Amino acid sequence: MITNEKINSFIEKIPPAPKALQTTIMFLNNGELTKAAQIAQTDLALKSYLKNIVNKPIYGFKNEVSEVSQIFGILGVSSSQQTVYNYMITLLSPDKWELFKLKESTFHELQAKLSRRWKQILEHLDIDNKEIESAITLLPASIIVAEALFSEKKADVDLLRSVNNLDLNTILFRLCNLDLFDICEKISTKWEMPAQIAQIVQASSGFKPSNDDKLNNLGKWMHLLLFYELSQPMFIEAELNDFIEFQIEYVSDIYDEFATLMDIS
Amino acid sequence: MRALVKNGIGVFSPQGFLDGNNGGTFLSIEDIEATIKLNADMILVSLKKVVFFNRNGLDIFVKMFKKIREEKHIPVGFCDYDLKKYQAIHNFYKDDLNFSLFGSLSIAELFAASFKNSNKNVLLYNEDKSQRSAMAIELHDGGHNPILAQTQEDFNKKKSKENAYDVIVENTFLGQMGNNVAARVTGNAIIYTVSSFLDAEIGNIFNIAYHNNSLNVGFRLFIFDAYKVISMNVHALNFFSRLASSAAEYNATICFVGLTFEKTPITFKETLEDAGIMFFEQMDDILADKELLNELGASSVATVKNKRIINKVTVSELPKFIDATVATIEMMTNSNAIKEAAEVHAIKIENHDGKIASSIGFYGDIDGMVILVFPKDIAKKACQLLIGEETDDLDLILDTLGELVNIVGGKIKTLLSDEKINVNITLPRTYPDINSLLEISQNRKGVQVDLAFDNDKFLFFLTR
Repeated sequence: MITNEKINSFIEKIPPAPKALQTTIMFLNNGELTKAAQIAQTDLALKSYLKNIVNKPIYGFKNEVSEVSQIFGILGVSSSQQTVYNYMITLLSPDKWELFKLKESTFHELQAKLSRRWKQILEHLDIDNKEIESAITLLPASIIVAEALFSEKKADVDLLRSVNNLDLNTILFRLCNLDLFDICEKISTKWEMPAQIAQIVQASSGFKPSNDDKLNNLGKWMHLLLFYELSQPMFIEAELNDFIEFQIEYVSDIYDEFATLMDIS
Repeated sequence: MRALVKNGIGVFSPQGFLDGNNGGTFLSIEDIEATIKLNADMILVSLKKVVFFNRNGLDIFVKMFKKIREEKHIPVGFCDYDLKKYQAIHNFYKDDLNFSLFGSLSIAELFAASFKNSNKNVLLYNEDKSQRSAMAIELHDGGHNPILAQTQEDFNKKKSKENAYDVIVENTFLGQMGNNVAARVTGNAIIYTVSSFLDAEIGNIFNIAYHNNSLNVGFRLFIFDAYKVISMNVHALNFFSRLASSAAEYNATICFVGLTFEKTPITFKETLEDAGIMFFEQMDDILADKELLNELGASSVATVKNKRIINKVTVSELPKFIDATVATIEMMTNSNAIKEAAEVHAIKIENHDGKIASSIGFYGDIDGMVILVFPKDIAKKACQLLIGEETDDLDLILDTLGELVNIVGGKIKTLLSDEKINVNITLPRTYPDINSLLEISQNRKGVQVDLAFDNDKFLFFLTR
């Protein structure tokens, strides 16, 4: 159904990160917001994405924000970097979603929601680190990878899942000894994203906890956050709720704290 | 979201958070309609992967339970929860708890009508005495051996004994149980349990689809355990007469065991005997008598006079059947399956040792049965995707082979439907050795195709 050759071909076809993006991220890494905005301004698709995403209700801005310099100024270095990474991930998304009932706008909504809530979690955990803040951006890449690998095999997947409750991550691992998050890591390496980003996202799969307690704890929060968002009606309708398996035991020790933070009752 | 049916139990498995906002999106009206049409003896919602729920979130499923019960009269409820969730559900539905709660799926299986593994030693406790008794009765009816703890202390003491019980039942509540006819498989016979007054309702509570599937996959002996039947009226008499006529088409035998005629007219017995139904006083009169079992068709189909053979229509669709099998094996193994030889004759299997098999029937515009025979190690390889780990557990391998052949059946159905040929597939059946397969297929002519993947050989046989 899915072979290692197919995975390798998928990874090979991923283009390098565009130069304008690389330069924008480099300036953001150095804390040079103005220079980063000047470069970002030249990439019209990036500009449009930034404008679109920060004006979503979850960002809570009263007035429309339209200039890149304004956007970076309001977001600050860490969140600006996170948003640019989010844009990079969307470059991988398909023109038309086949496996999941997603639209471009719904996928952007998921990115925005995950990013804002992740920031809220990091503030709660008293973590101020732009790499860790950006880690959340790689998580939705797992959805894109699942779409890319399984969309042509939807009928087979449906048939398989009609007799056995397997999630896509498990199917892929059993077939190729490689899971969706391993492929996300390969993408992050190709795009020269900081190594810590992939480590946290690997732990957030709930499939292979990290040996590093700090990273593992962040993985738990991210895993629970993912399922908190995937339990929203729009993402259940998109059939995202069960694309990977929720590891309830993995997050049991942080659940109460999460519920309090997200005001769940 | 759709329920996954396994061992006669349909299970929904929502993940994450379940509240009033998203409850409706987990379950659409179409999902509920599809669930009603499922051939399941029990419908459950697993809370194993639900980290949070409130009453509004559960209500959508509870409404579905009500609808299913009204239409199908089968048990419904939640399963796979911890004590905290169990108490929460009790609190939400204090006086309105008319569905069941099963601590785990394996506990629920004990109470399912067609669960095939009976004779389990089951320790059970519930602080409510009437619940305790109801569970014990249900378990006993299902062919298990319930051991009741009378107090929590007694339960804890018994529970601490290692390996003393096959299953321990706690945090479980029986709502309205199904009043459908329980069915269990013993060897190659199917035993249906009926009780109290048999009237026109038998037509609603008897799972005719299950019965027909059983006939299609080769079961030839059906026993009605009627020890607890008080009486039967003319509507039930007509029902059993019709059942006997349809069984006769397959040369199948229907027996009643333990039925008394104190309150049922003795003329009914004569009518039923004329229809071909046999009567026995004790279950052992049949099950312990191998010669009789042979005669009745439960141990061998040597006496079965099934003259139906594979026909031109079925053979003309042969490539579709092979395509479906090859595509499934390729999907499951990521390797190429190759067709080697194809011939029409009765099934020929060289070297019976270490081989297992599985079959699935299809009926509708065309009828037939596909049989796959594998060396055990090759079956393990073909089922690797579904099993996920190395195992020598034959039951698990056979169960998984059943799933694999179910996928083959699903693919056949789809491929034929593309050609406007509509068929339904039966439940898969598995055979732990070749002798048990030959009991049902030895004299049937069919198309045998030898297939290979990665140089491992297996056999495909299509017959009617």
